[in-house]
Amino acid sequence: MNILQWIKNKVRSRSIHVAYVDVGSCNGCDIEVLACLAPRYDIEQYGIFVHNNPREADVLLVIGAYTPGWEEKLAMVWDKIPSPKAAITIGNCPISGCLFDRKGSFVDPPVKKHIPIAAEVPGCPPRPTEILQAILSVRDTVFSDWEEEHP
Amino acid sequence: MSSSLVWYLREFARVEWIKKFLFAKTAPLVTPTHFRGFPEPTGKTCTHALFCMMACPAPGAIEVVHAGDGWIPKIHKGHCIRCGLCVEACPNGVLKSGRIRETMEREGTSLLFSFRIAIDTELCTGCGNCCTACPVNKQADAQMGAGGHSSNDDVIMRVQEGDIVVIHEDKCTGCKTCEVSCPNGAIRIARILEGYQQPVQEGF
Repeated sequence: MNILQWIKNKVRSRSIHVAYVDVGSCNGCDIEVLACLAPRYDIEQYGIFVHNNPREADVLLVIGAYTPGWEEKLAMVWDKIPSPKAAITIGNCPISGCLFDRKGSFVDPPVKKHIPIAAEVPGCPPRPTEILQAILSVRDTVFSDWEEEHP
Repeated sequence: MSSSLVWYLREFARVEWIKKFLFAKTAPLVTPTHFRGFPEPTGKTCTHALFCMMACPAPGAIEVVHAGDGWIPKIHKGHCIRCGLCVEACPNGVLKSGRIRETMEREGTSLLFSFRIAIDTELCTGCGNCCTACPVNKQADAQMGAGGHSSNDDVIMRVQEGDIVVIHEDKCTGCKTCEVSCPNGAIRIARILEGYQQPVQEGF
């Protein structure tokens, strides 16, 4: 491993920019993501910053059960994120549709069908600690040595 | 003024202060044990009453599956919303989550299922499909043939003179097999979930 890669790994592990997108949830998970920003959980101490701009994001948090309004837009948001990137789904909705996936509803879960997902956080809603752990675990697997693995 | 400046310079030059400034972290958060997690088995024997599945509000979150000789409830993460209703509804205490079981024991609460059989006599043709499909009937009277006639008094329901008669509503297990087998949609099973609390003793 060259010195440049080592520096990149060091910097990337302390500087993760997060964008979150709500593709049709009940807002419970959004509130848990916001709770991560609060002093009690404080994700900024791990170097995770919430920007909500896909152009400068590394991690996309996807929340919600994928309503038809997001049919092409979610892939568009995903394409805008520069590599290396990872998408994490928050809550039950992106995995299974949870309570919304019933007969006659228009949601189209799982989100896995539409964009590649690196990690899923089950729960309705998941706890802020679980969201935090998911982001930190993705950081170590996806972002370290990225240039060496994708020359 | 000058002394104050010196104090500040000394304060900020301390190794401990620099360490705190650069590397301070809040203590790692541990999930308290009373938080409701995904329900876990306690090791008690499941009797396949399926009350957990009936009480569950999330579609596809809990399933009772074969495990060796017996049954075991299986929680599907990604569907389960951790409400703990399955833990409360289980008559045998097969599942545990947080301190739900302890609280139930302390406060003497319980969730009890009961079932009502409603038959629409306008729609019912008296074919007896429900009587023959019913698994409880099959246990009580193995000889019951097509048509649903039976001379046994232990069955839940039977056909008498072309009409269906419910004898033992209390024996119903709420499986709704009769609903599925009815060609006319004449029979409906209501699953009634009631919360009970034992009266608290005087002086508490």
